[in-house]
Amino acid sequence: MLRGSDALPGSPLTGLLLMIGFGLLGSVGLAVGLSHGTPSWVFYTVLPIGVALLVLYVVLVFLPHTAQHRALVEATEAAQRLEERLGDTSAHIQAGDLVATLALAERLPPRLAVSFANAARSLGALVQQIQNSSIEVAVAGNAVNATASELASGSSEQAAGVVEITATMEELARTAAQIAANAASQAELALHAEQTGDTGAAAVEDALHGVEEVQKRISGIASRADTLGARSKEIYRVLDLITEIAQETHLLSLNATIEAVAAGEHGRRFSVVADEVRRLAQRSQESVASVRSLLDEFAGSIRATVVATEEGGKEAGHVLERAQSAAAAIAELRGALADTARAAREISFATQQQRTASDQVVLTLKEVSQVIQRMAEGLKHFSGTAERLNQLALSIQMLTQSFRLDSSRSLKNLGERWADEVALRAGHWEALGSQIEETVRHSPFVELVYVADMNGNVVVSAANPEWVGSDSQSSAVTAGVNAKDRPWFQAVLRDGRTVITPLYESLLTGERCFTVASPVRQAGGPVIGVLGIDVNLRSWTKI
Amino acid sequence: MAARPGTSVGALRALIVEAGEYLCAVPVHQVVRVLRALPVHPLPGAAPELLGLAEFTGEPIPVLDLCRLVKAPPGPRPPTPVTVVAWAGPPEARELVGLAADSALEIVEIAPAEVVAAGTQTLCGEASVGGRPVRVLNLEALGAP
Repeated sequence: MLRGSDALPGSPLTGLLLMIGFGLLGSVGLAVGLSHGTPSWVFYTVLPIGVALLVLYVVLVFLPHTAQHRALVEATEAAQRLEERLGDTSAHIQAGDLVATLALAERLPPRLAVSFANAARSLGALVQQIQNSSIEVAVAGNAVNATASELASGSSEQAAGVVEITATMEELARTAAQIAANAASQAELALHAEQTGDTGAAAVEDALHGVEEVQKRISGIASRADTLGARSKEIYRVLDLITEIAQETHLLSLNATIEAVAAGEHGRRFSVVADEVRRLAQRSQESVASVRSLLDEFAGSIRATVVATEEGGKEAGHVLERAQSAAAAIAELRGALADTARAAREISFATQQQRTASDQVVLTLKEVSQVIQRMAEGLKHFSGTAERLNQLALSIQMLTQSFRLDSSRSLKNLGERWADEVALRAGHWEALGSQIEETVRHSPFVELVYVADMNGNVVVSAANPEWVGSDSQSSAVTAGVNAKDRPWFQAVLRDGRTVITPLYESLLTGERCFTVASPVRQAGGPVIGVLGIDVNLRSWTKI
Repeated sequence: MAARPGTSVGALRALIVEAGEYLCAVPVHQVVRVLRALPVHPLPGAAPELLGLAEFTGEPIPVLDLCRLVKAPPGPRPPTPVTVVAWAGPPEARELVGLAADSALEIVEIAPAEVVAAGTQTLCGEASVGGRPVRVLNLEALGAP
């Protein structure tokens, strides 16, 4: 800063004093000279000249110089005031308080005021635009992040699903191979069975012929047995006749004997003959009995033969029926086996094709799985980039919040306004508490608002019911809290301006938040307290 | 022991017939004829032993059931039943009767000493023929009052 003494190295007062000094020195020299014999004309000549020079100096130098000096001092003071205002304005600009800058700019000279106001408005517009852009970027980053996370999650699930499908397809391929092998084996077995069926059919055909021949033979035997049975009956009739004759002969011999006995001695020889006849009849009866016994056995054998042949014929018929059924069944079985062999070959061929297709599907699925995994990794990277973009936007947002703008999105401005409202009710804490609670209820991004006095004691606070619940007592949240050692409290008291803290984890919600701390001034003068506003980051960025 | 016919003097010659489980001996001199069982016409109200009337040589003769007569247990059905026509009753009043028997076997001789007296009216006694007991009929006592 240019000072007056620097602009005028020799001040008028110094010159005047020098002139007076020179005058006194000349007067003393002149008096000394006069006392030592210096002529008087010298005295009277030098003295007026000196006085004249002094007057000339006063008139020509001192007085103008004094006026200039006064003007210079005034200009210097004006410059100092301007310097202070410029300093204050610059300090507000430096602090980012564009609202205060605009207010202070009005006290500057018009051109400077206009320039500062324009610069502040331009800067404010720029900051607001950056703020809006950062919010949009943050929102977009969040959306991209959410979408990328969702896509990554979906890709992971899809990859897992593809892995499961791949495993299933591999299992399917293995099963198809096993089925193909089984079908081939089945086809071979069916072919062998078909050949065996042919052999069996031929054997059954031979057996049929054999059984038919046996049945014919049995029929012949039965017929001959019937004939023998009939002849046996004839023999029985003959035997019955012989028996009857023998009995009659027996009775006749008995009667002859009786007559011989009745004849006495004359009948003795006749009696002997009669006795012989009786014996002959008896032998005849015995022979008949023997023949009958043999014939009984023979007839029994014939009957057994007849029964056996009948049963054999029936059994042969049954065997023939069963053989015919077996032949039909074998013929049907041959057809079924041929169909089975053909179906098994078709199944084998189809399953081989299925196995090939399954292998191709497995290969494709593996490629798809790799693509999905790469895509998932890319999406994760993309998600990370979006997260970083979100953090960057948040950082920009926090940077823009270092400016105080005349905007609803300027937290510093909000803090200042709320601090002014608090200042109006300083000391009336009950009324102030109700007002703060009402204000907080309409500010969803605010977790907690509190006011600390100059000693750091929190005198009033209000928590947002949206974060802590409607039943929570606000006073309980900050009971016994002292903010004297908190950096934001000290910074506000030190700088007298609103400050915004770095991000930290909220004790109230556990989420990330930051504090906007504003000075509470009494009638715009001294600071009497500090207003703290805890802002929830997630909710604020949504706004 | 029964003797062969005509081999001993004083022996009883008898016709051996089967009557149920028993063997009976009918003296030959009282036998007129041995016939196949004659057709018998039963008489109502007759005694159980009397089977009925049969026709012999044009005359009706009573036919008696020999099994019931000697009280023999009934045997199996006879294959060749016979009717023995014989004289019955005392000699002065003998009559022809038919005896229905199961079969007529033979004519044997029975020594009188072998005949053991029996306690009934219709039997002379019992003897042993071929080791089997034979009941000797007393036809003379058959018609006695």
